[in-house]
Amino acid sequence: MVKTILVVDDEPDIRDSVRTILEMNGYRVITAVDGDDCLKKARETKPDLILLDIMMPGTPVVNIVKQIKDIKIAFMSVVRISDARKKGLCSQENIVDFLQKPFNVSDLVDRVSLILNE
Amino acid sequence: MDAKKLTIKNLLFSKLNRKLTFLFAIVGLVAPAVGIYYFYVISISSYPAALLTDQASLLRTVAIMIMILIAVDAGIIGFLVSRSISKPIKELRNATREVERGNYNVKVSIDTNDEIAELAQAFNVTTAALGKLAQERKEVDTAKTEFLSITSHELRSPMTPMKAQLQMLENGYFGELNDKQKESLGIIIRNADRLDNIIVDFLEISRIEAAKLKFNFVETDLAQIVRDIAKFMEGFAKQKNIDVIVNVDKLPVIETDPDRVTQVLRNLVHNAIKFSNENCKVEISAELKNNHILFSVRDYGCGLSPENQIRIFEPFFQVECANRRRYGGTGLGLAICRGIVESQNGKIWVESKPDKGCIFYFTLPLAPVRELKPIKILFSCRSDIEKKIRDEFKAILGPLGDVEFEELKIKNSLSKDDLFAYIDSLTGQFIITRENGTEFKNRIGEIFGEEKEIINDRRDTVHENFENEVLKRNYERF
Repeated sequence: MVKTILVVDDEPDIRDSVRTILEMNGYRVITAVDGDDCLKKARETKPDLILLDIMMPGTPVVNIVKQIKDIKIAFMSVVRISDARKKGLCSQENIVDFLQKPFNVSDLVDRVSLILNE
Repeated sequence: MDAKKLTIKNLLFSKLNRKLTFLFAIVGLVAPAVGIYYFYVISISSYPAALLTDQASLLRTVAIMIMILIAVDAGIIGFLVSRSISKPIKELRNATREVERGNYNVKVSIDTNDEIAELAQAFNVTTAALGKLAQERKEVDTAKTEFLSITSHELRSPMTPMKAQLQMLENGYFGELNDKQKESLGIIIRNADRLDNIIVDFLEISRIEAAKLKFNFVETDLAQIVRDIAKFMEGFAKQKNIDVIVNVDKLPVIETDPDRVTQVLRNLVHNAIKFSNENCKVEISAELKNNHILFSVRDYGCGLSPENQIRIFEPFFQVECANRRRYGGTGLGLAICRGIVESQNGKIWVESKPDKGCIFYFTLPLAPVRELKPIKILFSCRSDIEKKIRDEFKAILGPLGDVEFEELKIKNSLSKDDLFAYIDSLTGQFIITRENGTEFKNRIGEIFGEEKEIINDRRDTVHENFENEVLKRNYERF
């Protein structure tokens, strides 16, 4: 069964790049431009995984994450994981990974496959 | 007996009020007492002895009553007068204590229409100014943090789609590439990585300079950290068949930031491996000293010349040798290590002899530092340069160095030429050896080498402005 991934980032180039990478590796990809759009799309399409940027305009990500408890979330950000932990972003159970930007294409593919094939 | 007297003295004189009241009361007692005594003596001598028995006792009683009355009145008036002084002063004292605690919003209102009222007015103006400064400082601090976080984000964000697309191209996502295309792509990717590394390092340095380095102090097992690093570096070390040896005895579990310690150690070990020849070893040690932990990383590579030993912690300074060209690097690693170590009030230094290898030492305090201080990495200012010169004097001349430096400073002879002339006089009089003199000159030259760079910067902006003016004028003509 084809897995769906929701990619959330305020930068169109990143959305495009990640979409290309994931689609070419056999996943279905939906995109969102910020936190609120993410909530809307998550409700509509029920993805298997959300790749979530941290620094975006609009509602702060820390509030968005609180509203999504049942879908796996992996952060994708320039912010360092130690700083994200300090802001309390990594405490929820459904947060499964933290990808540091700029990422390695092969690294991204490997990690996504690990998360979705558990 | 003495102890009791002291406390009575304290009791009477420690409060302004009591002191003045007491003194007024004394005056109120003594003055009339003296007057009445004389009156008494005169009246006794002017009147016949018969009066003595009846009127004398009446006189005595009256005299004593008058003295007591005057003393009491003087005391009361004294109390009131002294209170009019001590009350406003107490108010000022309380307000000052508030300011000491950091509360700049106090206002003193004294309306005695005298100098104390003026003092209160001055106090209010000064604390208002202090409060404003504190507020501004907080605003600048917030602005600094925000600026750094936004800059960091903005600088690193373009790298993400860039590297992603380049890697996709390289991995054949958009079709097979011919050899030339692969080669070209390789060059682009390599330099994009290089640029990214420089950006990351530069952001670190900005944070160090602004004392905005983020530390995360937790209980840390240092011995484990050192072992982890040795393991992490194994891959790189094996490429040159280098043994990484770990020497950690009983190290206490202390509160520190494990990521930062790892960062510094990794950089030093990486350098050690990079500048070692094949089939060597690299030794990492850590010892508990009286109030800090002393780390050392030793390699048996090409070593450093004395000039380079000083300069090696400068940003972008890289020693010229074959190994560096092969392994690259931004030249900022040691500058960042220095920033991290010194922000925590530690010290980092190197001991080396050319061709004998290097030992890099750094210290870590046993308790985490509460307030970070900004470390100047990029530009030294005048006082830093003077301090460096003074340190050199102390290093070469010992305790006498301080005295000599002061003398030169008073005579305003701290320019490079003056210092060189002074050093020549020292060698001429055989106070120091020719070798030491040359070393001294080299080090002083180094310090001034830095200053010259700053001056050149300023000249460049002037030149740039001039260029812009000429261009503008030329454009306007068309």
